[in-house]
Amino acid sequence: MLWVDKYRPKTLDKVTVHDQVAQNLRKLVAEQDCPHLLFYGPSGSGKKTLIMALIKQMFGAGAEKVKMENKTWKIDTGTRTLELELVMLSSAHHVEMNPSDAGFQDRYVVQEVIKEMAKNRPIDAKGKRAFKVLVLNEVDKLSREAQHSLRRTMEKYSASCRLILCCNSSSKVTEAVRSRCLNVRVNAPSEDQIVQVLEFIGKKENLLLPVGFAARIATQSNRNLRRAILFFETCKVQQYPFTSNQVAPPLDWEQYVCEIAADIMKEQSPKRLYAVRQKFYELLVNCIPPQSILKKLLAELLKKLDSDLKHEICHWAAHYEHKMRLGSKAIFHLEAFVAKFMSIYKEFLVSTFG
Amino acid sequence: MSDIRKWFMKAQDKNAGAAKPADRNVGAAPPKKPVLSIPEKQTPSLAPCDQDNSARRKSSKYFASKTENDSNVKEEDTNAGKNTGNRLSKRKLQKSSDELEDDIKPLPATKVHKEEEDDDFVAPSKKRTPVKTPPSKKLKGASNAEGHGKTIDLGDDDDAEDKMDEDDKTLPSKATGRGRGRGRGRGRGGRGAGAAHGKTSGLDDDEEEDRMDEDAKTPSKAAGRGRGGAAGGRGRGGGGRGFMNFGERKDPPHKGEKEVPEGGPDCLTGLTFVISGTLDSLEREEATDLIKRYGGRVTGSISKKTSYLLADEDVGGVKSNKAKELGVPFLTEDGLFDMIRKSKPAKATVAKLQSNSSSEKQQKSPIKSSPVKVGRRDDNQVTMSKNIALKSNKENASINNQKANIVDRGSLQWTEKYRPKVPNDIVGNQSMVKQLHDWLKSWDEQFLHSVQKGKGKKQADGGAKKAVLLSGPPGIGKTTTAKVVSQMLGLLAIEVNASDSRGKADSKIEKGVGGSTSNSIKELISNATLNYSDNRSKRPKAVLIMDEVDGMSAGDRGGVADLIASIKISKIPIVCICNDRYSQKLKSLVNYCLLLNFRKPTKQQMGKRLMEIAKKEGLQAQENAMEELAERVHGDIRMALNHLQYMSLSQSSWVAFLPIAFIFVIDIDSTFRLFGFNGGRLRMDERIDLSMSDPDLVPLIIQENYINYRPNTVGKDDSGVKRMNFLAHAAESIADADIVNVQIRRYRQWQLSQAACLSSSIIPAALMHGNREILEAGERNFNRFGGWLGKYSTTNKNIRLLEDTHSHILASQQANLDREALRLDYLTLLLRQLTDPLKTMPKDEAVQKVVEFMDTYSLSQEDFDTIVELSKFKGHPNPMDGIQPAVKSALTKAYKQGSSSRVIRAADLINIPGMKKPLKKRVAAMLEPAEESLPEENGVASAEGDEEDSSDAENKDELAPSDMKPKLDLQSDKKKGIQVQLDLKSSGNVSNAKKAPAGRSRASASAGKAAGGSGAKRKR
Repeated sequence: MLWVDKYRPKTLDKVTVHDQVAQNLRKLVAEQDCPHLLFYGPSGSGKKTLIMALIKQMFGAGAEKVKMENKTWKIDTGTRTLELELVMLSSAHHVEMNPSDAGFQDRYVVQEVIKEMAKNRPIDAKGKRAFKVLVLNEVDKLSREAQHSLRRTMEKYSASCRLILCCNSSSKVTEAVRSRCLNVRVNAPSEDQIVQVLEFIGKKENLLLPVGFAARIATQSNRNLRRAILFFETCKVQQYPFTSNQVAPPLDWEQYVCEIAADIMKEQSPKRLYAVRQKFYELLVNCIPPQSILKKLLAELLKKLDSDLKHEICHWAAHYEHKMRLGSKAIFHLEAFVAKFMSIYKEFLVSTFG
Repeated sequence: MSDIRKWFMKAQDKNAGAAKPADRNVGAAPPKKPVLSIPEKQTPSLAPCDQDNSARRKSSKYFASKTENDSNVKEEDTNAGKNTGNRLSKRKLQKSSDELEDDIKPLPATKVHKEEEDDDFVAPSKKRTPVKTPPSKKLKGASNAEGHGKTIDLGDDDDAEDKMDEDDKTLPSKATGRGRGRGRGRGRGGRGAGAAHGKTSGLDDDEEEDRMDEDAKTPSKAAGRGRGGAAGGRGRGGGGRGFMNFGERKDPPHKGEKEVPEGGPDCLTGLTFVISGTLDSLEREEATDLIKRYGGRVTGSISKKTSYLLADEDVGGVKSNKAKELGVPFLTEDGLFDMIRKSKPAKATVAKLQSNSSSEKQQKSPIKSSPVKVGRRDDNQVTMSKNIALKSNKENASINNQKANIVDRGSLQWTEKYRPKVPNDIVGNQSMVKQLHDWLKSWDEQFLHSVQKGKGKKQADGGAKKAVLLSGPPGIGKTTTAKVVSQMLGLLAIEVNASDSRGKADSKIEKGVGGSTSNSIKELISNATLNYSDNRSKRPKAVLIMDEVDGMSAGDRGGVADLIASIKISKIPIVCICNDRYSQKLKSLVNYCLLLNFRKPTKQQMGKRLMEIAKKEGLQAQENAMEELAERVHGDIRMALNHLQYMSLSQSSWVAFLPIAFIFVIDIDSTFRLFGFNGGRLRMDERIDLSMSDPDLVPLIIQENYINYRPNTVGKDDSGVKRMNFLAHAAESIADADIVNVQIRRYRQWQLSQAACLSSSIIPAALMHGNREILEAGERNFNRFGGWLGKYSTTNKNIRLLEDTHSHILASQQANLDREALRLDYLTLLLRQLTDPLKTMPKDEAVQKVVEFMDTYSLSQEDFDTIVELSKFKGHPNPMDGIQPAVKSALTKAYKQGSSSRVIRAADLINIPGMKKPLKKRVAAMLEPAEESLPEENGVASAEGDEEDSSDAENKDELAPSDMKPKLDLQSDKKKGIQVQLDLKSSGNVSNAKKAPAGRSRASASAGKAAGGSGAKRKR
């Protein structure tokens, strides 16, 4: 079992990184009532862990009796009948799902599926909690329509159901939804915190950590705790005992993106653009989300870029990232960004160096 | 045939009129060739017609107007008996002249003319040139005219009378003379096109003689022939150009560096160029454009006619060898530029002179002799033969008339205004026109008086059918043909088109009794009053024109079937018109009709016609431009006219060759034409058509290939900055299109489809159009098929696989992560955990470790493959490298061994309906070996524990906190999903657990291996 999962805190008490948040949540639960919650923060900061711990806090161990099901929902949209398949993790007290998996039909999920689940009051003999919890992941990926349908659901069935929303960026959640929730920001853990966690794991695993090793991994992980632990374990797999200057091997896709960035900086020509397109395809085929590609690519490009151009390039990256979200064929936008970059950079090179 | 000749002749006239004598020939030449070829085809068909009266008449009419000689000859044979009186003949002549005028457009300058005088003076002038036409010929002409006049008489009386009044006054001799003049012109035109054709056409001897006479007497003959030859050459050249393969040629060394000079219009007229090798600064296509713009011709291969071989380096190829052989001078690009530059002032003066002359002409037009003078002047100025100049005069004169007429008529749509008035005005398809004519002509005899004569005279199939079906693309004059021919035959055309109700009425009305609900068509065809009858001899017979029969459908009751019934009982001829004769709807109709398939006129034919119209409307246009226009409308004359009219509004005076500018111009099949070198010249609607030919695919192909094109608008671009800029723009536009597409597909905003096609195809193509070049060595220089579709489906497949793996991991209850995190963060480590031991550790140990790990996360072998697959990157080492095959097979074996006891986890149960069999199997596996498997699994499965089953050995190994106690409970939900539940606490107190033991056993299957198994057993 991977360390990430092995040392994941299971209760709010055990949470170390976001202990402040955890305490607040505990209080919330103690009040017997809790509003809708929206957890947001970068990936690898512990949102999911907090949510699971919170649910356990609310319902006790019963919430850990989880079943996984793949349900087919038949939805009558008026003109036709849709069949939607959704994977859900559910216990007697909560249901967890990822409505954005339904793609552009996500609003039917929200309108029909969630509504139906929210409507049903749990029959709880002990009457401990008069509501059940719906955990929706990746709300920021929900389409605008789905989010609009969501807000009605949130109000109407608030008596019997609490929603816990989880997303990376609250800016992609409509304000209407945000205002109906208690927003919980889950920060990316600081590097110190990461170091602490790593050292804790090291102790548990009886590992000898060279000085500065944990800090290096923490830096490399970019304040992503999950990634840090994974790196840590990768290092362990790679070589143990650790050497003092050991560095975790980069993630495969990040490495590939770096290569692309290097290509682009080296030569700006149609030929190169075409080669880059092939590489983008390679990444996309390997299921790397285009947003991550663009973000990483920009980061790589900025490293080597003249500071005069940084602002402009960032602008265009944002521009194309936005368009990518509006569109459906990510490769077009990635390519457009690269073409734009090449055009700007080439012009810059020519005007500077002739 | 006659029509084409007419076109040809007009082209010459026009040339002369434009006062660019010698040059013009060259300009006109490309059209000539096709012209030549067509008469050849058509003549045979005409020849048999000579015997047929109707054919005669038609052609006679035509000839009378255009070329008297021909008409004379023809008419003589057949129509001799029909000659009636001078008056008629005159009238006919007059009419024809009027028609002529209609055809010929006035030059912009000539607005002052008065018709009558024109007519008068034109005739003499023409007469003059032919000089010694034998009187007998004149007589013949007259007689022809008479014959013709008679036939027209009925129909023409109304319309033509006013016009003809003046004509009546003219002497017959004059009329003939004029006719002759025209005839002459035509004859020469024919010659120009290729003297032989006229003769071979199988016309009567007389005619030939006539022409010969004329030719002999006029110096122009030779010139005409020469021109014809040239035309042939050019035609070929034009064809050759299409095959040029741009991809192979190098770039011009100084691309875009030189300034392209501007010269006087048509300064290269009369010169023929052949381009060889790479030029200094121009792309070959640019050079071609340049030459054409100034009226020169570019041919593909060297011949005697070639004026220059344009080459900057002597590559010693076939062309230069041949050029040396033939003594064709070489010309460098600079030489060409010089030539153009120099030409400018000189040509300008010529132009001025010419314009002066024309203006004089206008002023003096009342005086009969003026045109002649002008003609002479023209002769002096121009190296061309007099004939042409004279023609130009004639042309001018008649144009003036025309102009006046036009003014009278007010602002009509040009399509109406220039609708052909006589069959010969119809562009192209003359054989069809003739057949229709013949058919209509003989209809009466065939069907009404068949008793006496019996069926099927000379026309084999034509007579047998009671109706005729004209088919062909829109805008090429089918309806017009039907109308004009029937008009010419003096038939009253009743047109019924889709806008009229033409349904079937009560079946009782078949006999033709009218009523509000009656079948109008049946009534029409059976109503005797509409028919020709003896006591009302002046009343024209009727012909029913059923337009757009392929549009007959729902609204028209009975539809085609009824039409067929009508045809059977019809007492008048029925002309059906459709666009697609192979349409299913018309299948049955076809059997009852004589099929006449109209083809698109050639661009040369149309070019001529358009030139005339442009002239009449006072537009200055070059023939090149007109042909360009003709080409772009795909033979649709109506559309061409509409364009022309539109353009006349926007640009009151044109300077010569503007084809590129005057229509929005784009072009492979569809995509590839969009990108093609001349892509920039396509019309907008063409571009849209091209990109809409498959609105899903074309953008993808464009996206795939746009990088490969080197835009020819970039010009000189050493650094490639401009090209990168264009690329960025194109890419941005493509990205925009993607957004629009989402709107269209997801929100059904189909009104945006034009915008999508614009930004997905047209803008990138417009930016990038140029030559294609290859980016990777060894790549073929053809457009690739869009790669996106393939990649998309692979991506989707991989996402599915990843999702499977993801759900397996979720089901293992070890991790709660989303798919993205799995791919981005976990995968690298997972891969390492899975493959590193295999590479480094001894076989057995490694295998055991890996299997353990897989079991922890309930990964199946497929998941293993998925993880490996997703970690492969082109250019990176394969993660599986370095693993011995023996180790791999050992792994497979070990995994399979475990699988008998292993419970495949929940995620495998995802697709319940289809998965029944596997489920059963698993259940069976659970029931039997559960006990045995326990120990084995305990070692393996670290995760699951079951508090209640504390007796179970596996709990020892738990690393997870004690609260993780999975027991799987599978239970079929009301909603057809099957749930696999990990029952953590007590199985007893949860209601779920109590239900459905069978389900539970299954559930246990999905839980952990051993834990699940034991749980299931226990519950039961």
